[in-house]
Amino acid sequence: MPASPASPDSSRADAVFFDYEAALSACARGERQALHRIYQIESRRLLGVALRIVRDRALAEDVLHDAFMNVWTKASSFDATRGSGRGWIHTLVRNQALSVVRTTGREVSADEEAMEAIEAASVANAAPMAEAFEISADIGRLDECLHRLDVAKRNSIMLAYLDGCSHSEIAKRLNAPLGTVKAWVKRGLLSLRECMA
Amino acid sequence: MNESADDLHVLTGEYVIGTLSAASRAALDTRMKNDAALRTAVEMWEAKLAPLAELVEPVEPSRALWSRIESSVAATSSARTTSASVNPSSNWWNSLNLWRGLAASGFATAAFMGVVVITKIAQPPAPGYMVVLVGPQDKSPGWVVQAGTSSQQARLIPLGKMEVPGDKSLQFWTKGDDWKGPVSLGLVMPGQSLEIPLDKLPPLQPNQLFEITLEPYKGSPIDRPTGPILFIGRAVKII
Repeated sequence: MPASPASPDSSRADAVFFDYEAALSACARGERQALHRIYQIESRRLLGVALRIVRDRALAEDVLHDAFMNVWTKASSFDATRGSGRGWIHTLVRNQALSVVRTTGREVSADEEAMEAIEAASVANAAPMAEAFEISADIGRLDECLHRLDVAKRNSIMLAYLDGCSHSEIAKRLNAPLGTVKAWVKRGLLSLRECMA
Repeated sequence: MNESADDLHVLTGEYVIGTLSAASRAALDTRMKNDAALRTAVEMWEAKLAPLAELVEPVEPSRALWSRIESSVAATSSARTTSASVNPSSNWWNSLNLWRGLAASGFATAAFMGVVVITKIAQPPAPGYMVVLVGPQDKSPGWVVQAGTSSQQARLIPLGKMEVPGDKSLQFWTKGDDWKGPVSLGLVMPGQSLEIPLDKLPPLQPNQLFEITLEPYKGSPIDRPTGPILFIGRAVKII
């Protein structure tokens, strides 16, 4: 197959028609071509996801390498009755990326205590918060539910999910006290769950 | 489990969006193995939030990445397929009993066997270091550490599954012969391999000590191990 780089739009179109579940079954049978097909269809998007979280190009490629090894070795444990094949692959990549940033400690945990300590001081911060993200793609019901949240909760959840931010990193980015961020995340998740149930 | 439904949804939601600490993630991974409700709640969040991936700008991988994946896959596949044949080295690798038997004769032997087997399976036998971490009592191997001489990374690879109590964590340590004390390399998730950056440490040396200890949930509160040693081994240079 010629290795011409596909444009984002054509890769998305491919992704819509690609049978991820069949490809995973083929991987489970030991067909390496199936893993290559998944890579061709999905690697650009998966690398984008990993890079946003680990924020280092070489590390993101390591994450993708390890995640594809997991796809290969765990394909037989994929259960199509519990979720989509594409979602399963994305979860392996996200989990690998999160494991790297949480385990190697992009930040020191003492930071959290420092943040708690200055909490009272920064409560006065009352500037209105700007949207941290523009939702540019059609993400359906999730979009509607995210927009029912206030901007602070929406920003917190998206900074965590898309940028791999911990509570204290979100606090820094949004210039808000750590305790407040923890409450935003918690209440935001509960509202989202209610909206999407 | 005396958690309310809200607690469950927040905990699993935080797991999926990624705000849990390494130790809490590991604890939840362990609990999920035996808790179907927890697994279902995690899968619910994964499915609901998955569309957010559409907001991420795709990034073209380097040309070398697929080749790397391909050779790693070839390495595991050859181990898989030759285990049924007469190739003794691959059979050895897959036989935990034999590993245990080998370890009984001292873990230096086990480490030596590890070197032989790994270099046979791995595609280019890169020079570097290898450590086999064994149980201090029964000497059964639990983990392997691989590191290249020039690379700034080591890789910790599990050889089997293990259970860790929910209120405990595994912590990985190293100590060179002339160092004042051990240095933490971070928390380890049972059954999962881990990339360890070594760029802030002195270069690896032969005989350097590595160990995994059982520590409180968030890791040792001080700068040295506080719990029992579960696995221990020393670095051996691969020629």
